[in-house]
Amino acid sequence: MRRLLLAVVVVLLGAGVLAGPAREAGAAISLEKCTLCHGKPEFRKLLVDGHIRELYVTADTLKGSVHEKKTCTDCHFDVAEIPHRERPKRVACTHCHFKGNKEGAPQSDNVLAYFDSAHGQAIARGNPKAPLCQDCHGSHAVMKAKTPESKVSRFKVAETCGRCHMEIYAQYKTSIHGVMLAKGVGDVPSCPGCHGEHRIFKHDDPQSSVFATKVSEQCSKCHASIAIMSKFGIDVEPAATYKESFHGVASQFGSRTVANCSSCHGVHDIRPPDDPLSMVNPKNVPKTCGKCHPGASANFAVGKMHVDAKKKEAGIIYWTATFFKWLTIGTMLALIVHIFLDMYGRTRRLRGEQ
Amino acid sequence: MSRADLASGEVIRMSSLFRMQHLVLTVLLLVLALTGFSLMYHENAFAQAIIRLEGGVHNRGIIHRIAAVLLLANVVHHLLYMLLSREGKRELTDLTIHRRDIDDFLQSLRYNVGVATEYPRFGKYGYKEKFQYWGASIGTVLISVTGFMLWAEDFSMRFFPKFVLDLALVIHGYQGLLAFVILFFWHLYNVHLHPSVFPMNPSWITGKVSAEWLRQEHPLEYEKLKEEGLL
Repeated sequence: MRRLLLAVVVVLLGAGVLAGPAREAGAAISLEKCTLCHGKPEFRKLLVDGHIRELYVTADTLKGSVHEKKTCTDCHFDVAEIPHRERPKRVACTHCHFKGNKEGAPQSDNVLAYFDSAHGQAIARGNPKAPLCQDCHGSHAVMKAKTPESKVSRFKVAETCGRCHMEIYAQYKTSIHGVMLAKGVGDVPSCPGCHGEHRIFKHDDPQSSVFATKVSEQCSKCHASIAIMSKFGIDVEPAATYKESFHGVASQFGSRTVANCSSCHGVHDIRPPDDPLSMVNPKNVPKTCGKCHPGASANFAVGKMHVDAKKKEAGIIYWTATFFKWLTIGTMLALIVHIFLDMYGRTRRLRGEQ
Repeated sequence: MSRADLASGEVIRMSSLFRMQHLVLTVLLLVLALTGFSLMYHENAFAQAIIRLEGGVHNRGIIHRIAAVLLLANVVHHLLYMLLSREGKRELTDLTIHRRDIDDFLQSLRYNVGVATEYPRFGKYGYKEKFQYWGASIGTVLISVTGFMLWAEDFSMRFFPKFVLDLALVIHGYQGLLAFVILFFWHLYNVHLHPSVFPMNPSWITGKVSAEWLRQEHPLEYEKLKEEGLL
């Protein structure tokens, strides 16, 4: 036990010494100084609203994260006194993550995209609940998005968003997308799949990837792809037939009130049609259509909704369209033949008269 | 027929009321075709330009329906006039399809391919005019049925399964196309390209045709007018 303790102290000291020269003398507060207080497991603060803020941090806290080699004051650079006279500010990641930084911290335009987004705008307006980088990426356990343990990894990001968007997360979890994600299917969309990663906007903002006129495009990214849909035995046709329908055409020309995929299939609560809770389950179709078309009857739900008149599966619609197509072509040809015959006959008639 | 007409050798073929109805019909059908086909062929860039010109799909629909209502008003006006007025009743008699029209059509075909030696002699309206008139009339009535079904979609959805509305949409579009094709080709030939009227039969504007044209193309009418002493 003593040896272990010694080893820890040595390691901590070593870390302090190694990190030391790189920093300004004034700001340099070594890890062992921080852990004097923060290293106690019971070190926490009771907040006025009854929440408890855990303040326990050890040398292992950053282990495994991308900031493994950093130390406390690299990020908490405003901490210059112990004990802190004022509560240290929230960490600003842009302190290092800016273009041309000397630390070699990765930087993309994502941070700029974030500032434009609904979250960034809320922060700018002074909303204390709006998320900063660390609220999604994690504060100490920051990992690359591709690392499965990362808070923003494919399988974990929905839970991260759900910390604030609780009701939506609850809906999503029971939806077909959420259920499949929980089964480990990586093809299904989690929150960013539809909403984007940093460029997140409110759904009624025209910039949003889920704005009314963009929804079908967003769903089609996967649902029009045979490569993806064939894995689940889902038909890709509805994506195309929607575009050809009254609703789809109106949507393409900018109508915001016309039905898009979500209007009928649901938003976060999308379920397969055979699920009795699905909005497009035949039992629920009259109610779903009735949202816009009051009085839609159970009779209306009979038969296929997504119909392509150009395909034989459409049945009577296909045959009617085909009949009319040939009737039109036939009529056109008959008229043209008649015109030429009549002209020929008339020429003969005139010659005969002369 | 006024004396001036006689002196210049011209005969009134379309009275001012019919010319007006014809003009209204022409304008409205063009509006309906532009607004309708731009939706039917919405993937086409030209159609998209037209929809933008019409103020988007929503306004396009409103224009289409206003034109449709006006067209039906025109039809009702025409119908009442044909049934109730003296001129209308006379025209209706001239336009009635008889066994003879079918015979005329078949004989003209035989003549045109060189089997028969005599070309049929037509009255005021030959089989070409009657086909056009009744085709347009029946077509207008039929296309309004599907048109109203689609217009009152909430009402339709109470009674019909979805495929009925899908069907109505397909039929409405093709009916329009068929009507357009017939009107286009029939007019193109009979009142434009036909050598006796090329480049255009002016009667839809002036209401008049020459007595000589009538003698050649509608000899029975010509003789009838002559008998009545009007020519």
